[in-house]
Amino acid sequence: MALHTLEFELETTSGTASIPAPTHVGVTGSSDLEVILEPAPAGKVAVRIVTPVTGFDELWKRVVKKFTDETALAGARIEINDNNATPAVVLLRLKQALTQATAA
Amino acid sequence: MEMQESMMGRGREAIDMIVDAGSFQENTVGAQSFDDPDFGPGAVVGTATLDGMTCTMIVSDADAFNEKFPVVYAGIIGMEEGYKMAQAVYASIEADAEKPLAEKRPLVLVVDTPGNGPGKVEEIFGMNKSTAAYQLALAEARLKGHAIIAMVIGRAISGAFLCHGLQADSILSLDANYGTMIHVMPLTSVSRIIKKPLEKLEEISKHSAVFAAGPRFFYSLGGVGALVDNVDGMRPAIIARIQEVQTAKAEGKQDTLGPWGRGALGAERGGRVERPKILALMDREFAAVAEQYAPAR
Amino acid sequence: MSNWKNLQSRSFLESSARDRALGLVDEGTFTELAGPFDRVTSPHLALLGDAVAFDDGIVTGVGRIGKTPVFVISQEGKFIGGSVGEIGGAKMVNTIKLAIDFHDDLVAKYPDLSDAEKPVVVISFETGGVRLHEANAGLLAHAEVMDQLQKARGKVPVIAVIGSKVGAFGGMGFVAAATDAIIMSEFGRLGLTGPEVIEQEMGKEEFDASDRALVYRTTGGRHKYIMGDANFLVEDTIEGFRAKLVDLAPLPVADFEAMRRIGSPEKVEHQLKLVALAAEMQPKDAVDVWAKAGNENAPGLLDVPFAEFVGSVKRLSV
Repeated sequence: MALHTLEFELETTSGTASIPAPTHVGVTGSSDLEVILEPAPAGKVAVRIVTPVTGFDELWKRVVKKFTDETALAGARIEINDNNATPAVVLLRLKQALTQATAA
Repeated sequence: MEMQESMMGRGREAIDMIVDAGSFQENTVGAQSFDDPDFGPGAVVGTATLDGMTCTMIVSDADAFNEKFPVVYAGIIGMEEGYKMAQAVYASIEADAEKPLAEKRPLVLVVDTPGNGPGKVEEIFGMNKSTAAYQLALAEARLKGHAIIAMVIGRAISGAFLCHGLQADSILSLDANYGTMIHVMPLTSVSRIIKKPLEKLEEISKHSAVFAAGPRFFYSLGGVGALVDNVDGMRPAIIARIQEVQTAKAEGKQDTLGPWGRGALGAERGGRVERPKILALMDREFAAVAEQYAPAR
Repeated sequence: MSNWKNLQSRSFLESSARDRALGLVDEGTFTELAGPFDRVTSPHLALLGDAVAFDDGIVTGVGRIGKTPVFVISQEGKFIGGSVGEIGGAKMVNTIKLAIDFHDDLVAKYPDLSDAEKPVVVISFETGGVRLHEANAGLLAHAEVMDQLQKARGKVPVIAVIGSKVGAFGGMGFVAAATDAIIMSEFGRLGLTGPEVIEQEMGKEEFDASDRALVYRTTGGRHKYIMGDANFLVEDTIEGFRAKLVDLAPLPVADFEAMRRIGSPEKVEHQLKLVALAAEMQPKDAVDVWAKAGNENAPGLLDVPFAEFVGSVKRLSV
């Protein structure tokens, strides 16, 4: 019954975008999530997801990969507290976090 | 541990078991008298001596029914009850206002209450104010040096326990062999509301005291100072605890008592170990920025 | 984006706890304590397999309004209904304690300290009280908060701000009642027992929990303002609440004593007059009490536009 923690890294070879400052967005509400984005050297994005849901590890990887590809993210550390968010909501919050990080 | 006859619903009997024989004078505290028998019948207040000391008794009466406010029965604290209890506390403070610390009368709370008045009229007029008034009065008396001991004899449930018990310096409870109930909600209801199987919750509660029902869990969280395993033990335990509390107050150790002191006790007993960490973290973080918030001179 | 200027005109009701905290104090002055980057999450939720939050559902920190240091506590209703557990409870307790300690330090250090330079505490409530997943620890934390509120008396004013979806109920209904001053919007709700429990206790004929208008008539901001349980009623924007805080923050603590509903024998005497009125009236609905307060158009009061309501409503006095 314990919470599920998923950790993985994505290689980023072509990205150029970076995180200027640590950023937090979102609330771990029902069907929602919160994200911490932190700067990290280019080359890889380290991801840690804590969620009550199991069995979707591959889907998480694809969703985060879609985010890093679309935003050309070169390096970052991503931490997520999830509470049953859909892939669309996950993408939305990740993009909001990046926008906020770069606007600051 | 052999099961004993429950003290639930026997608040008035408990007074006689605790105080000096025949000393209880109901409806008088210091200069205040409570003359209207229909006013806040669910709360019994008065003055007694305990090993010769004058003390204020505040007791739930589960046999009472408040006809004006029909949600008040079975020991429920209604609007009148909460304010009546607050008045008894203020009258105690007032009576001893000029006395030195050692002579301020102790307050003994006999706890057997399942809740606060859950009615429509209560919400319209603000039930929350009544029991908050009592809590503030108790906190004021405690901080002004009165020793306050709560003795849980039956039910100490959720908001009603917050109101009548949890502002005391020290809380004693009859042990589980008396069927004493201390909880926010029974585990069966918790299971239903948070949607977790009961068996799993029971399993976890063997190691974690934070949600399970019963005096022993509150003991390990520091919420109950000591357990009493026999009704005959209530009187000597209360007398001894009053002395300890008075000594601690005389030595300026107020921080070892009351809700704040129970926090330290909860860490010591291993039931609440996160609390001290977060307190220390915030203290450090604020210390680092405090200067920014001090006045510019 | 959480840009301070954009936040001001935002609905308080719709805002997050963090945006409320940031927006209530002066621009750029808020320092969060035990914030999300500290990643202090509840181990009790994790053990049960439930989602956790980096701030445990409560934003705590310190900012400034004018010259006044403002210690802010802001509960997040979207995370388990804003419920109070071991960590969130401790954050709340310590924010008030830090304000009191800071007050004592400043008074000792600056003999000429003005009222405006003394700290205040602002609590934005959005909670039903105890978090059942860690109920015992949450309950004990409530008692600690009440203890700190009494310790703050005469030193640090504590101002309640209630304009959230969840409102302030359960044990936190006590805590809100025990603050010095209460600011509500008409969407805020304040009480002890939630509508479902009243329905269960009294029957659906007496109280239908699904009747939203009834629920607001009984515990909503307009009603609480008429009853005197809310000192101030403001518009549902962050700047609406903030403007009132700007008025209150520099006041001497003695002025707050007059705003209290409870906390002294005299105030208890006064409340007992209201209780006697309740016993005598046995109101079937809050509207009966509004009429008793002298409002000719009592049944229509919820529909009167906000400004007109605040300008013309008669408040109950006994």
